[in-house]
Amino acid sequence: MRSRIVTYGVLTLGALAFLFPFYYMVVGSLQTNPDPSIAGAFPHPSNLTTENFTAIDGRINLLQGLANSGIFTGGVILGTLVFGVLAGYALAVLKWRGRSATFALVLLVQVVPFQLLMIPLYVMIARDYGLSDSYLGMILPFFINSTAVVIFRQYFLQLPKELFDAARIDGAGEFRLLWSVALPLVRPALLTAVLLTFIGPWNEFLWPFLITKDASMQPLAVSLANFISTIAASTTNPFGAMMAGAVVLAAPAVALFLIFQRYFTSNDLGSGVKG
Amino acid sequence: MDAKGPITIWYSNNDAEIAWGQQMVAAWNAANPDQQVTAQEIPAGSSSEEVIGAAITAGNAPCLIFNTSPAAVPGFQKQGGLVDLSDFPDGEQYITDRSGDLADQYRSDDGGFYQLPWKSNPVMIFYNKDLFAKAGLDPENPQLSTYDEFLATSQKLKAAGVSDYAINPAPTSEFFQSWFDFYPLYAAQTGGKQLVEDGKATFDDADGAAVADFWRTVYADQLAGNEQYQGDAFADGKAAMAIVGPWAISVYKDKVNWGSVPVPTEKGTAASDTWTFSDAKNVGLFTACQNKATAWDVLKFATSEEQDGAWLNETGQMPLRKDLTTTYADYFQANPAYQRFGDQAARTVEVPNVQNSVEIWQTFRDGYSKAVIFGEGDVKSFLSDAETQIDQLAAGK
Amino acid sequence: MTVDLAGTTGRTGGDPGRSGRAGGETDAGKKRRRPFGAQPLGILFSAPYLIFVGVVFAYPVIFAVWMSFHDYFFTAPGAQVDRPFVGFDNYVTALTDPDVWRAFGNVGIFLIINVPLTVVLSIVLATALDRVVRARTFFRVAFYVPYVTASVAVVAVWLFLFSNTGLINNVLGPLAPTPSWLVNSALAMPTIALFVTWKGLGFYILLYLAALQNVQKELYESVAVDGGGRLRQFFSVTVPGVRPATFLVVLLSTITGANLFTEPYLLTNGGGPNGASTSPVLLIYQKGIEQQNPDVAAAIGVVLIVFVLVIALLQRRFVGREES
Repeated sequence: MRSRIVTYGVLTLGALAFLFPFYYMVVGSLQTNPDPSIAGAFPHPSNLTTENFTAIDGRINLLQGLANSGIFTGGVILGTLVFGVLAGYALAVLKWRGRSATFALVLLVQVVPFQLLMIPLYVMIARDYGLSDSYLGMILPFFINSTAVVIFRQYFLQLPKELFDAARIDGAGEFRLLWSVALPLVRPALLTAVLLTFIGPWNEFLWPFLITKDASMQPLAVSLANFISTIAASTTNPFGAMMAGAVVLAAPAVALFLIFQRYFTSNDLGSGVKG
Repeated sequence: MDAKGPITIWYSNNDAEIAWGQQMVAAWNAANPDQQVTAQEIPAGSSSEEVIGAAITAGNAPCLIFNTSPAAVPGFQKQGGLVDLSDFPDGEQYITDRSGDLADQYRSDDGGFYQLPWKSNPVMIFYNKDLFAKAGLDPENPQLSTYDEFLATSQKLKAAGVSDYAINPAPTSEFFQSWFDFYPLYAAQTGGKQLVEDGKATFDDADGAAVADFWRTVYADQLAGNEQYQGDAFADGKAAMAIVGPWAISVYKDKVNWGSVPVPTEKGTAASDTWTFSDAKNVGLFTACQNKATAWDVLKFATSEEQDGAWLNETGQMPLRKDLTTTYADYFQANPAYQRFGDQAARTVEVPNVQNSVEIWQTFRDGYSKAVIFGEGDVKSFLSDAETQIDQLAAGK
Repeated sequence: MTVDLAGTTGRTGGDPGRSGRAGGETDAGKKRRRPFGAQPLGILFSAPYLIFVGVVFAYPVIFAVWMSFHDYFFTAPGAQVDRPFVGFDNYVTALTDPDVWRAFGNVGIFLIINVPLTVVLSIVLATALDRVVRARTFFRVAFYVPYVTASVAVVAVWLFLFSNTGLINNVLGPLAPTPSWLVNSALAMPTIALFVTWKGLGFYILLYLAALQNVQKELYESVAVDGGGRLRQFFSVTVPGVRPATFLVVLLSTITGANLFTEPYLLTNGGGPNGASTSPVLLIYQKGIEQQNPDVAAAIGVVLIVFVLVIALLQRRFVGREES
């Protein structure tokens, strides 16, 4: 019994510590004047307002930013789901020459920092391919998320070999195997990978900033980052406006997560890591 | 260089400048239907130089950028991104006629003009008259012209508790922040010297030390904060003074009852002899431009007496024009608050037009931050170390 | 629609010889050597990904390495400039620059704080989360939410909380450090480490939660029967049981930490007081993009990659490898 109290206690403390900055973010976005005192954490009703949202919307078009973020992220998720799954399946289930080298490559890709590649990539995509100021140019460097490939591979690894052998004996081709046998079994896990892949492009602010000069094409993360560093100082309640923008950027991610989080049940992630 | 046709331009992204930009473009387009100008705000960012540099590399920079920082010009020039305006038959003439002596600071090493000196924001000291009065100081004649006076006034403000800080320049480490604390005072103290002249750093001497020691005292006595304030400290009443140019007037006008004086010097200098930093932004014509002749014509149009006047009216920032106060006497009479800045605009110092300009300023800032703002290490070694490094950078390492 | 694979997992988990390899050599009838492997279709399936990596990744990396050996800067198309080969000059410049050493030192400080903290917190929280039944959703959401939000969004709150007059200092009262957190050369990096730990924990809890499913319940029971309490069970069953996950957590958090850019960039513009929170990638960005010295930046980048690979290899040796 005591240990149960300890468990719940630890979790509750942890949860509060984790959620507090978000609570503060929402509070900050609704206050007329930022109040860093302890009392300010529990705002006075007279200090509440929605004008921060209108203020920031006046400077950066929130809806358009959200739409751009959506297109950018959607493109990446599509690429990752289609081609990442194929690669993950091949790495896990099929036996072929160059398999371990490819997997090593998948891991290596994650070691290299993006900022190192940024300008050569920019030159290539903007100059050689002529894709600046386009969604395709934005999506391209992120098109297939390597971490997702690792995750897909893990899921497929968990499927029992016998399943595939039986289907092969029945004459099923590999593609059919993937589509009808393997995929349905890992579908909830696909959702997990989608949610994790979502986070990268949704929050990316450096690359889209470089590749799109046109302010109407910029995703919300870019507009917000720029707002914070340059324009905020000249608004009436800079902190409030920043918080309002932050809430708008965070809300869809959190909402999406809330809706689909039950698919994160540990059983599905599959013993994603074998013990 | 002779091609004519449609062009694209970028202008700055704050409200007043956008307003001017739009009317300028509209006026041109109405008169030149076959050479239409498409305009766009410069992509915002903590440093728009990155965007321009990247655009040059990719070959898709616009024809004109009305917000080119002089510090970035050497870099863009090295990239092969800028057109030498002196190559136009009337280039040299136009620029020197318009800007007079001030134009020389904007020449590159090879004598050409890779930028058109456009407008400046001479940096001066703003002070909050109400807070000064509250602290028992004379709001019409503040004692701010020598270092001793300035420090004494600041101490009084602090003792009276009227604001958190006497003055609060940004203490962060971006390469350009020194332009708003050290450099204006250095310009004043030396009567118009740049940080680097003839390829050598100039600041490791009594003048440089005087300025650096002054700021060290300010930080040591906590007359200024060493943490970034989100927002404008002067506008929010957290600082009794600010060191900034006339663009800030539109921000302050409804919030603070302000006055302005030139920046201080060690022993005090008459206002009509005091120099300061220009905080200029210029216009670059980029090699990626297809229709350079049109771009040049648009540039001349945008910096004509009429358009410069419209600019002055709209933004209150000073066109880099000689005889400014006489040409626009009406404006200054109608807006006496800007008169001081108009005068000051004739005595401004620019960042040195040398190689590795950005890196030089970053090196300076890093050392300044350590020794002056945070008091780690002494000012003397900072100045001499920085001088050694900067001499190397200016020589191309 | 959830599928419970626990049953099948137990089976494959119990046979180490067959870990990770489907269609293994013991398959009857597949003994003959085929030049492309048993299922060459694998190459076709991976082709799009490989092409993607080749285009988007290989070319820039090779170009970056090439840059690091030449005197290089980016020019407008058509501009003619000299690009002499300079051997190791850029590396010498990079490695004799005190800023670079400080940046790597900062990353070291960051990793020393962040990695153990991440491992300990995530395994403890995952264990706790695994055991509760009520309010499980609430807890899970609480821990994951920081992970799914953008640093850009959250950084501003932290700036406000940790500023001179912020809530944290108000709560601490006289204990508040001066200068305060993010402008304090000694505290800036630890504060960033705290922020990144907080933000990333959700992902690592996820990894541990999954690994916990593979620890057989019988092991706990046997310890309990011997009189061991929860704590003993934790240390003798749980911790060893999730070792592969621990390796993964350590590896991934190290890679993320070494490539730290966003947080120093946003939380301490330009690298903090006196470079106290500059990271190597921030330097790469400054030198390569702001100061137009991509050759030196590329040298720093190569050094960083080598640094990470060395650490990863060391970790693999000491923490143990993932069995698949």
